[in-house]
Order: sequence, then C-alpha cells, then structure tokens
Amino acid sequence: MYNNMRKKLLILAAILTTVSVGAFAQARKGLRINEVMVVNENNFVDDYGQRSAWIELFNSNFAPLEISSVFITNDPADPTKYPVPLGDVNTRIPKRQHIVFWADGKPSRGTFHTNFVLNPEQPNWIGVYDADGRTLIDSITVPPMPYNSTFARKVDGEGVSALDWEVRSGEEGSIITPSSNNVIKDTNKKVDNFARLDGNGFGMTLSAMGIVFTALLLLSTCFYIISRIGAARSQRKKMVAHGINPAEIARTDKPEGDSGEVIAAIAMALNEHLNAHDLESAILTIHKVRKPYSPWSSHIYTLRQMPHK
Amino acid sequence: MGEFGTFLVENLTQFWHLTGFYNATWQHLVMLAVGLFFIWLAIKKDFEPMLLVPIGFGILIGNVPFNTTAGLEIGIYEEGSVLNILYNGVSAGWYPPLIFLGIGAMTDFTALIANPKLMLVGAAAQFGIFGAYMVALALGFMPDQAGAIAIIGGADGPTAIFLSSKLAPNLMGAIAVSAYSYMALVPVIQPPIMRLLTTKHERLIKMKPARAVAQSEKIIFPIVGMLLTCFVVPSGLPLLGMLFFGNLLRECGVTNRLAKTASNALTDIVTILLGMTVGASTQASTFLTKETIFIFALGFMAFIIASASGVLFVKLFNLFLPQQKKLNPLIGNAGVSAVPMSARISNNLGLEYDPSNYLLMHAMGPNVAGVIGSAVAAGVLLGFLA
Repeated sequence: MYNNMRKKLLILAAILTTVSVGAFAQARKGLRINEVMVVNENNFVDDYGQRSAWIELFNSNFAPLEISSVFITNDPADPTKYPVPLGDVNTRIPKRQHIVFWADGKPSRGTFHTNFVLNPEQPNWIGVYDADGRTLIDSITVPPMPYNSTFARKVDGEGVSALDWEVRSGEEGSIITPSSNNVIKDTNKKVDNFARLDGNGFGMTLSAMGIVFTALLLLSTCFYIISRIGAARSQRKKMVAHGINPAEIARTDKPEGDSGEVIAAIAMALNEHLNAHDLESAILTIHKVRKPYSPWSSHIYTLRQMPHK
Repeated sequence: MGEFGTFLVENLTQFWHLTGFYNATWQHLVMLAVGLFFIWLAIKKDFEPMLLVPIGFGILIGNVPFNTTAGLEIGIYEEGSVLNILYNGVSAGWYPPLIFLGIGAMTDFTALIANPKLMLVGAAAQFGIFGAYMVALALGFMPDQAGAIAIIGGADGPTAIFLSSKLAPNLMGAIAVSAYSYMALVPVIQPPIMRLLTTKHERLIKMKPARAVAQSEKIIFPIVGMLLTCFVVPSGLPLLGMLFFGNLLRECGVTNRLAKTASNALTDIVTILLGMTVGASTQASTFLTKETIFIFALGFMAFIIASASGVLFVKLFNLFLPQQKKLNPLIGNAGVSAVPMSARISNNLGLEYDPSNYLLMHAMGPNVAGVIGSAVAAGVLLGFLA
C-alpha cells in the first residue's frame, strides 16, 4: 500500500517536473530584447506625444506570451527594478510579435513606461528577469549611440552575442523598426531560393528522397536488430526452460526456420507416422481472457443507481 | 394598398435576389454536377463511399448559390459562420493528425515488423511525389505550390490536406478532392501499371510466410518509430506522432477502450467533418480554374509514378536478394499509402495468376510503410518550403 502510494507520488512528481520545465523552456525563455533606442530626438512618439528612449521586446515563441510580472531593469544589482504590471490586456504579446517600453522614468503614464531612464553618455546594460526576480531571461549592453539610432538584433529574436546586433541609423538599408520586424520579409526566402537555384526540382527530389530513405532505413535497421535480439532471447528462454544448454543448441538450431506452418506440418507428419494419440473427442482451446479494471469501465460507477422509494 | 403592395413586391424582390435560383451561375451548376457524380460513384460503384459521400455532399453544400454580399454568414469562407468554424480543422490542419491517430489505432504493423526491409518499398513509392513536383515546377507553379500538389502522389488524403493547408491554402480544395478521387480510383489506376511492369514469372513468385512477431516488438515499434522518424524530420511530428501514438494505444494492451474510440468513433466523426468541409471548400469561384485542371493531371501522374516506382524498386531489390527470399513485385504498388486498398489490389492480382498465392500480408508491409513514408515526405517538404 505504502509502496503503491510512493510510486504514484513519484510518477506525479515526474510529470509535474516535466510539464513545468517544458512550459518554462517554451514560454518565458522566448522573450527577447530586440531593439533599443537611447537618444530619441525625432523618432517614434509615445501616446503622450513625447519622445524618449525605448526598449523593444520580442516574443520569439510561436505562441502568445504573457509578460506581466516579469522585470525590466537597467541595473544588474537591482533585477526587480521595474515590474511589468499585472492586469493589463496589452501585456500579452502575440506569437512572433513585439512590444515597446518607454524608458522615460514615468511609470505613472502607464504599463509601458518604465521607472528608469537610459544614460546617453555611457553603455547601458538592460536585462529582463523572470517573475522570480532571479532568472535572467535576456540581457544586452547597448553601447553609447548617436542620436536617433538604435541598437538592434540583425534577425528578430535570434543570436546570443553582441555580434548578432548592429547599430541602425534609420537610413535606407539600416531601418529602425519599433514594434515591428527588424527584418522585413516580402517573400518566403526558402521558396525563392528553391525557385532560383533548383528550377527543375532535381535538388529537392534528391535531398528529400535521401531523407525519406534514411528515415525508413534507420527504422528498418533498428527493427532488424530488435527482431534478432528478440528471437535470440526467446530461443534462449525456451531452451533454459527445457534444461538445454543454449550454447550447444545455437550451433545446430536455426530459429528463423520455425515458422508456424513448418511446425504444424512436422507435428501432423509425426502424428500420422507414429499414430501417437488415442482417439480424441474434442479440441480444448485455452484462451486467456483479460479484463483490465478501470473506474471508467466499472459498472459500479457508470450504471445509474436505482432510485430509492 | 398601393404602398403596401409596393412594400410586398420590394420584399419579395429582395428575397428573390437572395435565392439560389437568382444567384446561380454555370460554374455553380458544374460543381453541383461534380458533387452528384461523386455521390453516384460512391453509392452506385462503391468507390470509397466513406470519403466520397461526405465530399460529394460537401460539394453540394458549398456550391448552393447565394448572395455573398448580403452578410448572411453562411459561406465556408465567411468568418464566424458554422461552416467556417467546422472548416477550421482543415484550414488550421488539425483534422489530419486526428485521422492519423485513428489510422495508427487501426493499423497492424506486424507485416512490417516481421520483414523490416519492406519499409524501403514504402520509401521508393514516394518518388511519385517528387516526380510530380518536378513536372509542377515545369508547368510554372512556385515550389511551395508544387510541393503541396505533388503530395497527392503519396496517396494520403489527410497528409495532402495537412501539407496544402500550410504551403498553398488557396489550392487546398482542389488538392484534397484530387487526392481522395485518385485514392478511390486506385483499383482502376494501379493494375494496368503492375501488369505492364512485371513478367508472368515475377507475378508467380511466392514469398515466405512472415515470422511471428512478439507483442513486445509491437509495443516497441510505435515508440522507436516515432522517435526515429521525428528526430530525422521534426516537421512531420503532428502526423507521425499521432500515427504512432494511435498504434501504441492499440498494441500496449492496456488502453483498448482508447484504441477502440480512436479507431472507430473519433475517426468516423473527423472523417465526416473533414470530408464535408473539404467538399464545401470547393466553391465554384475558386475551384473551376486552370490550376485545378493542372492539379488533377499532376495528381494522376503522381499516382502513376508512385505505383510504378514501387514495383520497379522491388524488381531492383530482387537483384540483390537470394532466390528463396525474392519479393513478388506485385507488392510494390502498395508502397503508396492508400491503406488497405492498394495491398488488396496486390493480393487480388496475385490470386489472378496463382490462386494459392496470397500476397495480402506481404503487401501490408509496404502499404503501412507508405503511410510513414508519405508523412516523412510531407515533413521534408514542410521543412524545406514553409
């Protein structure tokens, strides 16, 4: 009873751990600092008509992400500096979308105005911490920037080092994109590349068929090995049960030849030849009937109770 | 009375403008005829009735003419309409994985586990997909559209719907109808190809009976199968994951009720919804185009290439096999994943030439390998082009 309970608790704990770790891995970890403007002279304007520094966050997940209760900070010693307030419907970022926070030091202006400002004179470290205030989700050190320029990821949400970032001036080919993709895609690059470089489809056919064959060959090989191991194990078990030395028999016996048909034919031939049996009036078949219990199939739970008079 | 009369006439005129009679075009009539033809094929000729009746009736539903500007919210493409809600399973691609769950719960992989080399026949038949892909490119389709059309060669309706919903949603109706039509026509399309590509001597090859497969192997198969194939092609996860999950429910022996539900009630429900909404999505305005004709032609060609490449691959394979282990090339056509119809065709043709040569169980190997192969191919196309 105690063991049974312990087993159930262990399974439950394992499931909970897997689910919670998985959920964390897929959710908050996908939040990225995507683009930062430190000195905003004539760029993006907030809902008060003011210009100030801004920090763009990007949800790199393919699912919506709720960011209320995460912390944004410009001080590694104070990771919980600006908690994103709870209860604002706009803190739910749709999949692969952006949200902009104004680093104007005026949190009274709403959810998206932080309680700190960025310093144009020196590098600004910016970090995003999870709701526990300890787990760093993402951080970047923004170098001193020219006016109206941003420090942005080359590709939205991608990269782990400062090399994956670049300074953008707002000129042609160096666009500033608050609340929008850093890379503007007007076509599907993969499709374009296939159309351009593999116009007759030969490359696709070759590589795709290669993958299909590899996948099924792997599966086939794997099951060939499993069936060999299975056959050898069952043969050994059979021999051990009959008190035979497996090593001795393995030299003479070939289990793969023992198909049901062959065994049946040998048995019939022996029966005919030796007349080994008496007259048998019936065939006895033993068929094991299993009825696994489940509360879902239990009559006690699923049948209607007779009403009491 | 004069004003009242005018009011009545205006109302009746407005109502007349809403009716199907007023809004009908020749395209609607053509599509209604197609729907009736499908229903006739299913009922009179017994061609895949479980698919063609829902699709055929869906075509009727989708092509009843109505005034699309009246804001009636009844059309399948009008957001919030009942049909549109049901169609979400197709457009968002979640019906096909549910069908795959049912297929997994229905399918006995014993023949494949007993003779794992038959998996390669299922792989070879996927040449049909990529042959059609090349021709589709030559006809001017973009690679993503070509991939979505070519998957018809996998002979797998749910896979075709899943992939086209991702790669070319605008062509999905034509692709789905084409895939299901040719699946229904497998008994007509495949036998001539099989006869053409095999000699009488080859058709008489008797294959060794498959070995007995232990229950533990049947349980390991879906687990290892899912992990291996999805590690190679993660984009095939929705289809392959559900296929192998369904099979585990069937084989593990402790979830019989779940397996029964997945293979019966759930599959039936999803088949009804899938068939009907796919049919309804073939509205005349989007369906009767030059592209649809190309799609049907390409689908037909893909089926022929797939069947032929399966047969030819077995012949090639035989060159490397010892005499007593040779495969009958008539099982090669079963590499397309029309389960179990194409395996049944192998069996029937084998019996035609030798009444004691039962090929059904041997053909089931490549047949179920074809299901896995086409799902892997769909995953590859999705990974390359999405």
